[in-house]
Amino acid sequence: MSIATTREDFDNRKFFAGIARGIAGALLFALPMLMTMEMWQLGVYMDRSRLLLLLLVNIPLLIILSDRVGFEETSTWRQAIRDASIAYALGIVSCALILVAMGVIKQDQSAHEIIGMIALQAVPASIGAMLGRSQLGGQSDNRNDEAGGNDDDPVHERETGYAGELFLMAVGALFLNLNVAPTEEMILLSYKMTPWHALVIIAASLAVMHGFVYALSFRGSHDLAEGTPSWHAFVRFTLPGYLIACLISAYCLWTFHRTDDIGSTQILMTIVILSFPGAIGAAAARLIL
Amino acid sequence: MTKISNGKNIEAGAPHWIEWITGAASGIIVVGVIVWIGKDGFLDRDTSPNLHGKVVQIDERSDGFQVLFSIENASSATASQVKILGEIREQGSVLESKETILDYVPGHSKAGGGLIFRQNPTGRELEVRATAFSEP
Repeated sequence: MSIATTREDFDNRKFFAGIARGIAGALLFALPMLMTMEMWQLGVYMDRSRLLLLLLVNIPLLIILSDRVGFEETSTWRQAIRDASIAYALGIVSCALILVAMGVIKQDQSAHEIIGMIALQAVPASIGAMLGRSQLGGQSDNRNDEAGGNDDDPVHERETGYAGELFLMAVGALFLNLNVAPTEEMILLSYKMTPWHALVIIAASLAVMHGFVYALSFRGSHDLAEGTPSWHAFVRFTLPGYLIACLISAYCLWTFHRTDDIGSTQILMTIVILSFPGAIGAAAARLIL
Repeated sequence: MTKISNGKNIEAGAPHWIEWITGAASGIIVVGVIVWIGKDGFLDRDTSPNLHGKVVQIDERSDGFQVLFSIENASSATASQVKILGEIREQGSVLESKETILDYVPGHSKAGGGLIFRQNPTGRELEVRATAFSEP
């Protein structure tokens, strides 16, 4: 998608196509959460300072995400901020509409409940809107615009910094985590598991994460420069990626009151089980974004 | 650093030292988590919960006297659907009793709730305890 720099460049069709993609992305990513009972309840009772922190953390996340995956080369920080606000607004509006349409939000509810529910759901929806605008479309438009439909253009080189790779992993982990962290199943699983189950899950998370990015030949998978032993990538990317997935899990659990008054081992076990989907999300983000 | 060329991502052969420091630090933390959980796997092998009830606070509210309680689980085994019984007694006989259910009391953790009595428990004998639970 190109960006209008003057009033004459503004293309109505493209602008509305972008908005539509944003709404589609918000739906794709947020519907599972919009249809989760625990998310409605959390919107009502969760501590307002934790909700505020989540809403504030989402702002820089959207801006960096917009800068990184939004419009790539043509992007400036001003445009990134503008796109982030559009994505946030799209998230809020689509969540409000869907919650009203499903009868979750009713007239007789207090403003405290309604705003809490919409605000909480708007976080995953806005990330979805941002990813939807960049991932669902755009590529075919871009090719036609920039290379005149010349798909075999060999020069498509770009470097992702180390911090950038870690950021992408964090976004991927956050995405899968937000889907499952509010559900009661996560804490129930951690209560059913013994410490030995947790150790198996850690090993499985690391193996799946490494395999996703390096061993399996998915589109977008990563290779090592020639002559580099494979454990290099494990130490430099997979271990930090797993740690990021664990930290994001811990943050989600704390935000959703799943760590209050809980013993430290029990918290660690819940983090481990939640990091399993988080690790897969982190690995998938490196391939897709 | 990762170079993306013709849709292929190639990790740099000579990475920056920050990548190694981050990797090593992450490795240490992950091993720390494994050791911590493994230690509990060996040492903390309780098979049943150990529940103890405690009255935290008594407030006079419009519908009666609200007693906040907490249930502590001293064992590493989690109890679910924990039935809580609160009783006000005077000279051995039960004046009033109230019940509630807590979803979970996880191992080495606390959970709490409230019971609402019609009679004032202050100056009388008040006891809150768990009477039943199921395994999660």
